[in-house]
Amino acid sequence: MTSSYPAYLLRRLGQFVLVVFIGINIVFFISHATPIDPVEQTVAAATQFGATSPEAIALMRQSLRELYGLEGGLWEQYAVFWQRIAVADFGPSLSAFPTPVSVLIRRAAPWTVGLWSIATLISWSLGNLLGGLAGYYPRSRALRAAGAVAMALHPIPYYIVGFVLLIVFGYVWPILPITGGYQINLERAFDLRFVASVFRHSLLPALSLILVGLGGWFLGMRSLVSNIVTEDYVVFAELGGVRPRRILASYVMRNALAPQVTGLAMSVSTIYTGVIIIEQVFGYPGLGSLLVYGVLAGDYSLVLGVASVSIIAVALAVLAIDLLYPLVDPRVKAR
Amino acid sequence: MQLVRSCLIAAVAWLAALPALAQGTISNLPRNQTLIVENPEGTIKNAGWFNIWAINAGGQSTGLHQLMMDTFWYIDPNRGVDGVWDNSLASDKPKYNADFTEMTVKLRPGIFWSDGVEFSADDVVYTVETHLKTNGLRWSAPIQVNVASIAAPDRNTVVFKLKKPNSRFHALFTVRWNAMWMMPKHVFEKAGDLLKFDFNPPIGLGAYTLNSFDPNGKWFIWQRRPDWQRTTVARFGQPGPTYVTYLDPGPPDKRVIAQLNHELDIIHDTSPEGMFTLAKQAKTSHGWFKGFPYAHPDPTLPAVIFNLQNDLLKNRDVRWALALLIDIKAVSMASYRGAATISAIGVPPTGTHPDYYQGPLEDWLKAFELDTGKRKIKPYDPTVGKQIADMLRPSLGDQVPSAPDQIARAFGRGWWKPDPQAATELLQRAGFKKVGGKWQTQDGKPFAIKITVEGEARPVMTRAGSMIAQQWQQAGIDAATTVAQGTFFERRQTGDFEAIISWSVETWGGHPDLSFFLDSWHSQFVVASGKPQPPRNWQRWSNPELDKIIEDVRRVDFDDPKGVELGRDYLKLAVREMPIIPLMSYNVFTVMDETYWTGYPNAETAPYTDPVPNWGNTKYMMVKLKPTKP
Repeated sequence: MTSSYPAYLLRRLGQFVLVVFIGINIVFFISHATPIDPVEQTVAAATQFGATSPEAIALMRQSLRELYGLEGGLWEQYAVFWQRIAVADFGPSLSAFPTPVSVLIRRAAPWTVGLWSIATLISWSLGNLLGGLAGYYPRSRALRAAGAVAMALHPIPYYIVGFVLLIVFGYVWPILPITGGYQINLERAFDLRFVASVFRHSLLPALSLILVGLGGWFLGMRSLVSNIVTEDYVVFAELGGVRPRRILASYVMRNALAPQVTGLAMSVSTIYTGVIIIEQVFGYPGLGSLLVYGVLAGDYSLVLGVASVSIIAVALAVLAIDLLYPLVDPRVKAR
Repeated sequence: MQLVRSCLIAAVAWLAALPALAQGTISNLPRNQTLIVENPEGTIKNAGWFNIWAINAGGQSTGLHQLMMDTFWYIDPNRGVDGVWDNSLASDKPKYNADFTEMTVKLRPGIFWSDGVEFSADDVVYTVETHLKTNGLRWSAPIQVNVASIAAPDRNTVVFKLKKPNSRFHALFTVRWNAMWMMPKHVFEKAGDLLKFDFNPPIGLGAYTLNSFDPNGKWFIWQRRPDWQRTTVARFGQPGPTYVTYLDPGPPDKRVIAQLNHELDIIHDTSPEGMFTLAKQAKTSHGWFKGFPYAHPDPTLPAVIFNLQNDLLKNRDVRWALALLIDIKAVSMASYRGAATISAIGVPPTGTHPDYYQGPLEDWLKAFELDTGKRKIKPYDPTVGKQIADMLRPSLGDQVPSAPDQIARAFGRGWWKPDPQAATELLQRAGFKKVGGKWQTQDGKPFAIKITVEGEARPVMTRAGSMIAQQWQQAGIDAATTVAQGTFFERRQTGDFEAIISWSVETWGGHPDLSFFLDSWHSQFVVASGKPQPPRNWQRWSNPELDKIIEDVRRVDFDDPKGVELGRDYLKLAVREMPIIPLMSYNVFTVMDETYWTGYPNAETAPYTDPVPNWGNTKYMMVKLKPTKP
């Protein structure tokens, strides 16, 4: 394995570059195919309420087109786009001109990453632990009940769970904040008060993600463990008098975890599915809200920026798992 | 046992106290001195940007233009604190020369910027000249189109020389939602590239300054200036709230929850259902009307707008036939659940317009005859508003007014009687045929019409469109809605529609002059199909008679009573030609909670301004608000 690892590494890196290149190209052409014209959106917003003179609108349109850099054909914009990508610059946002897209992403990303990582880690750990136990102790009533709850919650869309939590803890028993990332007018400092406020505001959105996400991990792990317990080496261990707790931890769970770890890496993509919806429901200030805003405003610089970051993040996570697997799991050979 | 009981009591007490802990959504500010308002712009992506002159760069109704900006004049959409017209930074009304090529403005002395510098004519000259030489600012285009030069003969006077006669040039500096705001010369002249200048912290002429804001754009807090006496609203007293917070509370259901928890004093707009919930459950919440329909009718007129460059819709008989196939009562129920204020004519039934237009034209409408080709009918039914009120009264009881004048204000007056027979006669005169219960056009093709609607972003209007499509279908027309979502503005501007539920009529509300929208309806601005039409003649209506009315309006002074006469001429022409089918005013379910504040505007006893809090005019609300728990 050791001798072939550099070749394996190069091959995987090549695949990574190819995936990112193809993915970003697709997003570029899809986002530029949008029928929403950012100039018309701006004109509509600027003239929707106040006095407007028709003669002035033509002049405004022309100025905006020049200002936003929308002069020139698709291929010219494509060349400029890749020049910018090369230096990690997505250009100015068209709906928050002239602020760079990268600034907007940097401002929103910590909230999304924080919410997703905590919610995912909790649901992944809890789901796998309970699923593993349920697979190993199939007769346990408590674990069977947990399985039923997980199966019931898993297919429910994120927003339904979110709305139920919102009504229960925001209105019926109003003990938790239902919008925002932290208390209004609280100074953003790394002190206990601010951290506690961020924690409280993240509880309902995180709980929505955990309740739905937990079911998937639970059911997956239970199936894996149910198969593994019938393997010869587990049977031999039991016959050999190895303690059940050790069999569960070292023989069963550890072997069942490998596909779940891959699933964990792949679940980075849920940032752009579940988390986006939950951010909308709870008014949480993250990438999801930013993406929806960009789509509705026809701001393809912003859409491209957020989508490119997502493609790179998912591809990087999968690459990391691919590169680490051969090192930690002897059964996976670098072919 | 004693220990267990004590623990249980403690636990129950702790759980019961938890909701109280959830209150106090604002840190370090006294709630009884803080007004909390919804910002309908939502979360501002570019929160630290306060340069409102840079187009579309940051938020506007974050409190920035309501509390911090100022300009020459304000026209109130309702009755005004001291009349509809208010001289704000100007000390008097605009003075034009005889041919409207020069406008002189006298400025109010003793007004100061929030950093202590006195406002003067130099600021006005700087603002205008900056827009003259800088492309891409919010008001660059209208200034460059209109202004030849500006001069300040003294510290408190400015004289605009215009490139061509314009009797409504002052509208650019007259707030109806917003207007061109004054720039502090002493700040901007040092700013470098104005298109890249964030103006943070902002310096303003309003009675409030920025206290703090969320870098993620969820909230903005403004604080009353210690020297509020040196601002223009001081003429009406001290603004009540020490602090005003504008925030994004989320979708309508969350706004309702926030107000039920007394964490949101003013909801900008919610769904009809949300309004009804608050009216039922929250004793301290109320809308513009004390009872049904609660909502504030904005000076905007949602309508079925036809694309008059579409061959099928060029015929007036077809448009009238489609109008006579609409049952407005059902549209009112479907869209606003009955809480609509209808109008048969082309001005919204709001502000002072019923006094100038709907009321005086009532007899003309009753007598109006429509020739169907086979007979003459009188299509106007003056009792439709009353019929809607009667329809709602069994379920809503005293919430529905019963006095005729109150019904007219709340639900509107009359509308067109559904008349399928007359519609049939009109379509037949237009050469259409009904075959097997389905209408066919002159060339034997099915008469198909798509109504473009905005979709979930504007559910009330979408429901209105769906109901109208259903009614036309029942009459044998192949009608359906098409949901445009984010492409709505694009499609409306480029004429990519057959009929669209939107508005091409917006007015001052409080002032009867109709040039605010009507000037843009002149045929000189109508563009070819497929090209973007400048606001607001989305129907692309060209009519020599209308052009003559508009040209006459341009020649009379803004306050000349002749303007009202010309406005009525436009309305009569629009009834005869039916270029759009007016439906109702744009009713906004603004809900105000009196737990912490009182003195909000309302239709019955205090119609002094528009409560809808994203309007720049709401600065007048601040001076009327008083704390309930001082």
